[in-house]
Amino acid sequence: MKGTPMVQAAHADLDGEIALERVSKAFGRVVAVDDISITIPGGSFFSLLGPSGCGKTTTLRMIAGFETPDTGRMLLQGLDVTYVPPSKRNVNMVFQNYGLFPHMTVGENVAFGPKIKKWSRDETRERVAEVIRTVQLEGMEDRRPGQLSGGQQQRVALARALVNRPAALLLDEPLGALDLKLRKEMQLELKSLQQRTGTTFIYVTHDQEEAMTMSDRIAVMKGGVVEQLATPRELYQRPASAFVAGFIGTSNLITLRIDRIDAGCFVMDLGDGERIMAVDPGVGTSESEQTITVRPEWIKLAAAASPTGERATHVSATVVDVVYLGSVTQLIVELRTGERVTVHRLNDEVGAEDPRPGDRVALQWAAEHSFVIGAREDVS
Amino acid sequence: MAAVSVQAKGTAPRRRRFTHWRYLFIPTALLLVFFVAPMILMVRMSVLRYPPNSTGGYTFAHYVNVLGDPIYRRIAVTTFMIATSAQVLMLAVGIPLAYIMAFKAGRWELILLLLLVLADELNPIVKIYAWRMLLGREGLINGFLMRAHLISQPVTWMLFGRFSVIITLATSWITYTTIPIYAAMKAIDPALFHAAEDLGAGWWTKARKILLPLAAPGIFIAMILVYIPMFTDFVTNNLVGGTNSYMLGNAVNDLILSTNNWGDGAALNFVLLVLSVVLSLIAYRLAKLNRIDV
Repeated sequence: MKGTPMVQAAHADLDGEIALERVSKAFGRVVAVDDISITIPGGSFFSLLGPSGCGKTTTLRMIAGFETPDTGRMLLQGLDVTYVPPSKRNVNMVFQNYGLFPHMTVGENVAFGPKIKKWSRDETRERVAEVIRTVQLEGMEDRRPGQLSGGQQQRVALARALVNRPAALLLDEPLGALDLKLRKEMQLELKSLQQRTGTTFIYVTHDQEEAMTMSDRIAVMKGGVVEQLATPRELYQRPASAFVAGFIGTSNLITLRIDRIDAGCFVMDLGDGERIMAVDPGVGTSESEQTITVRPEWIKLAAAASPTGERATHVSATVVDVVYLGSVTQLIVELRTGERVTVHRLNDEVGAEDPRPGDRVALQWAAEHSFVIGAREDVS
Repeated sequence: MAAVSVQAKGTAPRRRRFTHWRYLFIPTALLLVFFVAPMILMVRMSVLRYPPNSTGGYTFAHYVNVLGDPIYRRIAVTTFMIATSAQVLMLAVGIPLAYIMAFKAGRWELILLLLLVLADELNPIVKIYAWRMLLGREGLINGFLMRAHLISQPVTWMLFGRFSVIITLATSWITYTTIPIYAAMKAIDPALFHAAEDLGAGWWTKARKILLPLAAPGIFIAMILVYIPMFTDFVTNNLVGGTNSYMLGNAVNDLILSTNNWGDGAALNFVLLVLSVVLSLIAYRLAKLNRIDV
C-alpha cells in the first residue's frame, strides 16, 4: 500500500463493504480474535453472535479503530484502514451504554460530529433535523440525556452516529440495557431503520433471537474464530457444528453409529426394525460415529403424521417429561440408546391429548432433517 | 375544617425539621462560641472609634481609611495578581495531573494520590526552607547556573519576591487543587472519550468539549478551597516574600500586631471576608450551573 496515492472516492460497487483479512488480536497471552476473515456486504444487516469472550466485541472495536489488529488487514470500501485512527474512519459506533454527552442537549449531541467536521451551519441544522425525524425524536432537541427514557437515549445514540452518514454503523449490544418489551420494539425499529437508510449495520450480540430477528447474515463466533457465517435460515437448518446447533434455538444432538450406508444415507440400526437415518453429506468421512442434529419440531410422533418412506428415521421412545408451552407441547423422550431428545408437538387441534410421562411413543423424521455436523471426536 | 387541616399540614414538616437540632446542638454551640463570637467582636472592633474601648462611640472611619487609602488598593492588586498567578499555575499542573490519575495511571493511581497527600503532609516551614535553599542567592539553581557559566551574577529575583511567593503558594495548595478535580473526573464515563473520538474529535476537542465541562464542578470547588485562602495568606510572604509581594494578609497582620491599629485592621479583615464570600458564591454558582442533571 505504501506509495500508493490515497483513493478518496469509495468504489461504487463496494459501498459500505467491509472486509477483514486474516485478522488476529491477542491481549497478553489471551488470543481474542484468531485469524478470521469476513466480508460484510455493503448495505446489509450483519451480526456477530456469540457468548461472552468469543471475540465479537474485539472484532467490532477493530472495525471501529479502537483496537489495532496484531496481524491481518481491514478494508473499508476497498481502502486499507488497518492503521487509521477511529476519528478518521468513516464508521460510527453506538456504544453499549450509549456514551451520550450528559452536559449537552439532544440536539448538541447529534450535532457533535457535523460540528467537528465543520459542516456549514445550514447543512448541520438540516441534517440534524432530518436524522432526529428519522429516529422519531422531534421535540426532544433541547432535553438533556438524563431527562430521557432508556429507549429515547438509544435513539439519540443512533441519531448521533447516523448523522455523519457513516459507511457502516457499528452497534455494540445496544439493546442490553432495555427491558424485554422495549427491546423487541427496538429490534424491529433497528431493522427498518437499516433498510430505510441502506447503511451497513454491524451488530454485536450474545442474544441469538435478537440476531435471528434482524440480521441478513450472522457470524457465529466462539473462542476467537468464526464457527459459521450464514443467513439465519441456514444457521438454523444447517448448523455447521454442535456449538452452533446448541447456540441457535433448541436442538437435539444424537450420536449416530454408521452401521451401513444405504441409498446415500448413514443408517444406524437399533434392532426391531428401528433405525436412525441421516443424509450422507458426502464429505468422505472415515469415522464410524457421527453427531447429528435434529430440531425438536421436525420430529413427529408416529401417530400424528407419517412422512414414512425408506429415507426416514423410525424409533420408539419413552416419554420422560411433558411441558405445555401454548402453541407447542414440549416432550422430553428417552431413546433406546439412553439419549434424551426434545420433541415439539404442535398444538393445532383443540382437545388433542398430550402423551403422559411413561407412555411409549413412536418417533419419525425424514433423513434430510438429520443434519450431520461432524465426527464424534470434534464435538465436546 | 379547612383551616385546621392546613395548619396540621404546616406543622408536621416544621417539627420534623426541628429534630435535626438535637444532633446539631453541640457543633452549633461550638461554632457560635469559637467562630461567630470572635467574628462579631471583630466587626464591632471595626466600627468603634477607639477600639477596644467603646467610650468614643461608633464610626465608619476605619472603613473610609482602608477603602480610601491608595496603598491598600495597590496591595489588593498585588494580592490579586499573586493569588491568580498561583491559581493558574496550579490548574495548569492540577488538571493534567488529575486527568492522568483518573484515566491513565492504572495501578499508579493510588500511589500518585498518596504522594499528593504526602506532599501536603510535609511541614510547611520545611517546604518553605527547601524553596529558600533552591531559589536563594547561594541556592542550588544559582549555583548550577554559575558553574555552567550561563550567568555571571547570581539571579536575585527568584527569592524574596513575587516569584518565590507564587511558587511557594502553588506548591502548598496543589493537593487541594488536584483532588477535587480528580474526584470530578473520576465520575466521567471513559466511554464518552471513545464516543467523541469515534465522532471525529481530536485530543483538544475532547479536552475542551468533554473533559473540562464535566470536570468544571471539581475545578470550581478547588478554587473555593484554594483561591480564597490565598487572599488572606501572610505566612508565605513573611518567609519567602519581599516588599513587592506584600499581600492583604500581611497588611491586616501588621495593622493589628505592629501598629496596634485594631480598627483599620479589623475593617480591612472584614472587607476581605466579604470579598471571600462574594468569590465563593460566584464559584458556587458556576459549579452549580455546570452540574449535570442525571
